[in-house]
Amino acid sequence: MKILTHLRSGALRSFKAWKGVLVVWVLILFLISLLALPVKSGFKSMIGSSMVSELLTDTVNIDVITDLGTGMGVIMPVMTIGLLLVLFFGFLMNVFVTGGLFSILGSNNDSKPSSRFFAGATSNFWSFLIIILTTLAMLMVTASVIGGIPIMIVRGGDAGTAEPGVVGKTVKIVLIILALMLPLFLLVADYARAWQVVHEEKKPFKAIGFGFSRTFRTLSVSYPLMLILVAFQTGFGALAASKLLSAKPDTGKAVFMFFLASQILFIIKILLRAWRYGSVTSAMEEVSDVIEVSPDQSVRDAELLQGQV
Amino acid sequence: MKRIFLLSVFCIFIVQTGLPQIVNKEPLSARQTYYKIDARLDPETKIVSGSMEAYWVNKSTDIVPDIQLHLYMNAFKNNKSTFNQDAGMNLTDKKIEFGWIDLKSLKDRKGNDLLGRMSYISPDDNNADDQTVIRILTESPTKPGDTVFIKVDFETKLPKGSFRTGYADDYYFVGQWFPKFGVYEPAGMRYATAGGWNCHQFHRNSEFYSNHSVYDVNITVPEDYVTGSGGMLLNEVKASDGKSKTLTYRAEDIVDFAWTAWPGYAVFNDEWNHVKITLLIPHIRKDQVDRQFHAVKSALEYLTKNVGPFPWPHLTFIDPPTKGSFAGGMEYTTLFTSTSSDRMFDFLHLPEMVTVHEFGHAYFMGILASNEFEEPWLDEGVNSFWEARIMDQYWGENSGLINHPLFKIADKSYSRTSYVGSPDRQVTTNKEYSWNYPHGTYAMMSYTKAATVLYTLMGIIGEETTNEVFREYYKKWAFKHPSGRDFINVVNEVVTRVHGNKFGPDMNWFFDQTLYGTGLVDYKVRGFNNTKLRDFKGIVSEADSNRFVTNVIKDDTIFKSTAQLYRPGDVILPVDVMVHFSNGDTIQEIWDGKERFKDFVYTGVSEIDWVKIDPEYKLRMDINFTNNSKTNDADMVPIRRYMDKFIIFMQYFLNLMSL
Repeated sequence: MKILTHLRSGALRSFKAWKGVLVVWVLILFLISLLALPVKSGFKSMIGSSMVSELLTDTVNIDVITDLGTGMGVIMPVMTIGLLLVLFFGFLMNVFVTGGLFSILGSNNDSKPSSRFFAGATSNFWSFLIIILTTLAMLMVTASVIGGIPIMIVRGGDAGTAEPGVVGKTVKIVLIILALMLPLFLLVADYARAWQVVHEEKKPFKAIGFGFSRTFRTLSVSYPLMLILVAFQTGFGALAASKLLSAKPDTGKAVFMFFLASQILFIIKILLRAWRYGSVTSAMEEVSDVIEVSPDQSVRDAELLQGQV
Repeated sequence: MKRIFLLSVFCIFIVQTGLPQIVNKEPLSARQTYYKIDARLDPETKIVSGSMEAYWVNKSTDIVPDIQLHLYMNAFKNNKSTFNQDAGMNLTDKKIEFGWIDLKSLKDRKGNDLLGRMSYISPDDNNADDQTVIRILTESPTKPGDTVFIKVDFETKLPKGSFRTGYADDYYFVGQWFPKFGVYEPAGMRYATAGGWNCHQFHRNSEFYSNHSVYDVNITVPEDYVTGSGGMLLNEVKASDGKSKTLTYRAEDIVDFAWTAWPGYAVFNDEWNHVKITLLIPHIRKDQVDRQFHAVKSALEYLTKNVGPFPWPHLTFIDPPTKGSFAGGMEYTTLFTSTSSDRMFDFLHLPEMVTVHEFGHAYFMGILASNEFEEPWLDEGVNSFWEARIMDQYWGENSGLINHPLFKIADKSYSRTSYVGSPDRQVTTNKEYSWNYPHGTYAMMSYTKAATVLYTLMGIIGEETTNEVFREYYKKWAFKHPSGRDFINVVNEVVTRVHGNKFGPDMNWFFDQTLYGTGLVDYKVRGFNNTKLRDFKGIVSEADSNRFVTNVIKDDTIFKSTAQLYRPGDVILPVDVMVHFSNGDTIQEIWDGKERFKDFVYTGVSEIDWVKIDPEYKLRMDINFTNNSKTNDADMVPIRRYMDKFIIFMQYFLNLMSL
């Protein structure tokens, strides 16, 4: 029951934060466009008035890529460096906007969402960066230990006489275990960030500590909550990405519609992320010693739950 | 007396025909050489001890004073061997375990010792440290029709996981392991102007050249080893102590005999028409068995249909385990090795490609048996051409090598890209001996450039004529060691027969420019223009007067349209040109390409919309397809689509990264 309450609350909070979601979308799209648009222009310019693009209709064609020769020689380093820069700044920007999203998802709302978004994004940036990096590092170490060791043992013992698929099966088992552990890491990161947002003092490691304690203290509620949210996020993301990446619009109009559809789906993806943040924030706010609840908090929560806001 | 006479006749028969037939009903080749080998593998010392009886028949009209044999395994004997010098080996670089072949005794038919008459020679580079070729002065010169017998006891120390041969732990691939006759070429054979032995040293960038032979080989290995070879298994006997077993193999009319032994092989059998196929594969790769058989059967089917029959009733192929990957991708006619890994994605057709390629060698290295030392393109290039055709035929025109929803690669595109994208594509021609290709161009020149040349030839003469060329080449030269010139003569003969003088009296002009030239193929649409023809207005002089004339040509607008073509490349090839007009009309032209430029001029009510040279991209040597066409309305939809997908991918990836 509690899980449903948090899910509903999170959903309502994420819908309320729609402006923040749009800001996240615009900023990320803007950043990626800084690389994508010049690269697109470069390719268009290299192909010029040639009809060789007919060879690209089905798939990327290495004959064409090879023939672009000198142009590719120029564009590839630009693409590589640009890609690294976009990944780097994109990561930082995501940390930034995540701070904004968490700030507007809380129930302690005294100021305008837009100002809270940017104020929260700015003030929480460094703490969020440390929380995310620490969580990613923990995730990677865990994956290396849980995944690497069994696979190494299986492969190391392979003298060529092992039955086929042993390594594959081991990898699958490891992936399932990691998938089941992922919600724990996400819970730690989300609780830590939700906690940090409501504390003026920026103490990321204390926040992570809170994340751990909160995750395991309320595991019976938090874990299934996160499992449901991750399942939604992953399912939607995988479905959308696979459909989009395999689509082959073949006219100018179709490509435009394809782009529109892809961006709508991505906005939904950000909404789902906000839903997760909102649900975890709701779960965190349940504990009175963690957050100072404003006088009209209970009323507003009730309104939220009844869908009146 | 009569019995002695009959026995003598039988012996002569055996010598001349290569022993009674066991594998095939009739001898397929001239069988100038024969080998009977008893070999024992010692897994402790990694030594194969062998006892060999062999002969060479002088089928020339020359009197030959000597015999020459390859001792390939000595390529691994020291760091100064030609093979290791080619590879730039430096003993300080890494720990090296050497391999060698040691002749314990060498005798003629009468039991005379020949070791004293033996000397190491280095016909290619005079390298005194190279011991991969020996010359033996026979007691008396060999007259036409005579036979030289030798009996050799030898020990071959296998190198550790080396080039195509050696061992890794308990895995063995035993190739180039016994003393092997060179090929005696009388004057007139291939490029020989005088009779002599063609017996090159072992080079890093080279494969082999041998007579077709009969092999009777007994191999003794530990009892638990699974073995495979290029021969047909006739018998298997376990030793009385139960620790070893001896396998008897017979191979006929193949150019080399190799074998493998490993306890970890799983054995699978299948059939294609008359051919019994055996696959030796690591247990862990059992799930790739169907892929491997599909590949080899596809190649059998395609080559049988378009080149000629596979004459042997048996074929063995091997997918070596990871530790034995040094043995992967090699051919011994009725035995070949593929390459894979324990986990192989379905969309990646690497095992199929290697299997198809190595099997294809059974035709061009095995049946036709050209000289790979001297004309590597004639085997590797021709075979790569057929490999690409087979892969793209059976695994998809655009997806012969990779067939992923997001990315596909055709095998023929891989060949072309390797040649076109090489900065060294003009360094030399295909006339070089294999080890002489400069700047690391051996593989590109021998494999991919030659394959692209043949694709271009097919683009000009047509697919069916190309198949007819190879059918004729097979019919005429199977088991006869053709040269590149012989192949080109077949091309000339067939093209003239099919197309008359359409391409001139012969096709030498093609090969001279492409295979034996360094020029590039490049055709370009310089542009096109459409000019309105203006009504005539002005003064016309008539006899003794001038008058003003307004000459309205037509109510409709008339255009003079010009397609401007240019040939930046030096290679001159005939090429198709397609001109499309705004009213939907399309005109197909042929440009002989002889001039540097060509204008096609049209007058009519429609303007040119687009122009394409080689609209089907048949001249695959063309180094730039991008400049082959010009249009007023370039289709940028694919570019926009790919960039949209790039944006989507980045958005999802960044979203994932930020937890």
